[in-house]
Amino acid sequence: MMWSESYRPKSIGEMVGNEKVRAELATWLATWKKGTKPALIVGPPGTGKTTMATLLASQFGYSVVGINASDVRSKSRLNEILEPVMGNAGLAGPALIFVDEADGIHGRSDYGGAGALSLILKQATVPVILAANSDASDKMRAIVKASTVFRFGKVPPRLLGVYLKEILGRQGVTIGPGTIINIISESRGDIRAMFNLAQSFAHGFSPEVARTEGYKTPEEAITAFFGAGSRDEARRALESMRGDIREKISGIYSSIASAKTLDLRRAAKMMRAVSDADMLHGRIMRTQQWRLLRYLDALLASAFEPKLGIPYSKFSVSWPLLNRIRWDGNAIKAFAESVGPHLHASRSEFAVLHMPYILACIKLGAAEIDVEDEHADIIKKESERIK
Amino acid sequence: MAVQGVMWVEKYRPRTLGDMVGQENVLGSLLAFVKKPADMPHLLFTGSPGIGKTTAAVCLSRSILGDSWRDNTLELNASDERGIGMVRERIKKFSKFVGIGDIPFKVIILDEADEMTADAQTALRRIIEDAAAYCRFIIIANNISKIIAPIQSRCAVFRFTSVPKECVTERLAEIAKSEKAKFVSEGIDTIYEYSNGDLRHAINTMQAAAALDGGINKANAKKAAGITKSSAVDEILKLALAGKVAQARDSVIELLRVYGMSGADILRNLNMAVNRASYDNAIDIVRIISEYDYRILVGASPEIQLSAMLYELGALGSK
Ligand SMILES: Nc1ncnc2c1ncn2[C@@H]1O[C@H](COP(=O)(O)OP(=O)(O)O)[C@@H](O)[C@H]1O
Ligand SMILES: [Mg+2]
Repeated sequence: MMWSESYRPKSIGEMVGNEKVRAELATWLATWKKGTKPALIVGPPGTGKTTMATLLASQFGYSVVGINASDVRSKSRLNEILEPVMGNAGLAGPALIFVDEADGIHGRSDYGGAGALSLILKQATVPVILAANSDASDKMRAIVKASTVFRFGKVPPRLLGVYLKEILGRQGVTIGPGTIINIISESRGDIRAMFNLAQSFAHGFSPEVARTEGYKTPEEAITAFFGAGSRDEARRALESMRGDIREKISGIYSSIASAKTLDLRRAAKMMRAVSDADMLHGRIMRTQQWRLLRYLDALLASAFEPKLGIPYSKFSVSWPLLNRIRWDGNAIKAFAESVGPHLHASRSEFAVLHMPYILACIKLGAAEIDVEDEHADIIKKESERIK
Repeated sequence: MAVQGVMWVEKYRPRTLGDMVGQENVLGSLLAFVKKPADMPHLLFTGSPGIGKTTAAVCLSRSILGDSWRDNTLELNASDERGIGMVRERIKKFSKFVGIGDIPFKVIILDEADEMTADAQTALRRIIEDAAAYCRFIIIANNISKIIAPIQSRCAVFRFTSVPKECVTERLAEIAKSEKAKFVSEGIDTIYEYSNGDLRHAINTMQAAAALDGGINKANAKKAAGITKSSAVDEILKLALAGKVAQARDSVIELLRVYGMSGADILRNLNMAVNRASYDNAIDIVRIISEYDYRILVGASPEIQLSAMLYELGALGSK
């Protein structure tokens, strides 16, 4: 089951974000009488507008007659749906009309729909709630005029974080802190998107989050960043990259580190900006102050210098070193884990302070040491590195 | 033979507090705990590497718990067990089973606790409280300023100090004699100079020197002293200041990611390397290092912070 469905709040109190507007809406319905203007909830997707409308209705004992934009084909169709409601025919309790995606009523096929809607709004004998992503379009003007507007904002990242962790706890799922940050920054205040992302991560997928058209892959975005004509343009290139903090920072870091022709003074200045961004990253991880995320692109943009022609590089180290980290690093770790405890030494204490001497003694023939066969290769390899 | 039987550091690790050298101030109080274990609070041992912190913790545990000390002591390296979740699980399991034998409490030695993040330490504080009924903690840290205040305040703090020269050289001579190794006192003095009161380093160096032709003399001591990976930082510093930042960076990343050295350790050694060398602009160099000591604490990626530092050192150059 989709988390976004199974965790749809059962009461208004369980919802996250937009506390103040939610209270205002409750007051609106509690004090509703004939002649009260309809409520128009305006806000970005996935912030709980639909959830709020349905919960509000049920909590105050109304039955919802819902219409969404796709139902509204014409003036006559709309009247057909709504007229019986006005007279309360055949409903369990008093009716409440809920028009979802009200800003979707436009275009040829809905011809007359918007007009009919605003007429109904004026004459309604039952409470009407409308929901829309935006109230800016021409088509919405009449509707806005006839209603009281309640604005929902994006759910702040901090709240998303708290909520997500609670859900993960209930699901018994663990996701790394880095991934949690990515999910939160990626969902941009949209609870539904956050659920869907989190669920797919929890099931081991790493969804192609750059689905929205206009978003760039790290390679495209960072290439655009270094190729930009101004710092502003560079910042916009970063904004157009999907919001994975770690990938942004490390993409710029590894590109600078791999650049062949870059004078030291300039590189140092650029790296310092990357260092600033990494501090911000650390702070966000520690304090869960997700709102700080909004400074990331600007901080990284100060690493920008025009006309340097730095190519994108995914890795910050050469291929041989990368292999050494992967293979030798793991072998040394395994060796340290098997021998370290006998020397009361941690992995790093063993590898840095003890192992070189052990290898030297073996190499000089001063000691016969029993080690498991699986460590023979790394011992030989590391011995050769000792001068 | 097993490693611990071959390596002198381990073979000659003191088995009782009385065998230890130096640390007089600390040892007196610890011996009092052995006499009256009921009075022992949680302990926090701090001080530079190789001066007996881990040894003292193990000796104390052995003296208080007697024959069954192994079963009733849990030794954890905080830095290895990345997640605090793992630490919590192991401590939970350990404190659950009933102690074997007639013992006042079980002992949990948490080494290198300063490598834990502040978050993990906050979680640790709860763990300490939960386990306190049956367990005593001995927390070990090179750098006490990286231990959060709530933990410090729950522990009696013992500051270990560098082992004085006479103690080091005397101990080294004892070991050399008992190993029937060829040595001259000048060789041992040289080892002391390189070790700065770090006995682990001194003993390891001596064993390697003893294996070289000519035994423990000045030249061999010099050769052997540089074997430890932490001495790679001298070279790193030189490379960076000479503007060979890419090479310096490769070496730093090798230390971090192949050998598992911590960023804090790299910086500490780098600082010592500056002190050993004599640059005219040493102050500027130290300023950069100390700035990144802060940045690495706040930041998310030690590799990024250390790299940025190397670029700054490269841009500064040496004088
Ligand atoms: N004060 C000391 N007395 C005797 N030996 C010591 C002392 N300090 C360190 N050593 C030697 O150095 C090795 C490492 O000491 P350890 O207690 O692990 O140091 P730390 O925990 O302070 O880093 C021990 O095995 C022992 O051989
Ligand atoms: Mg130790």
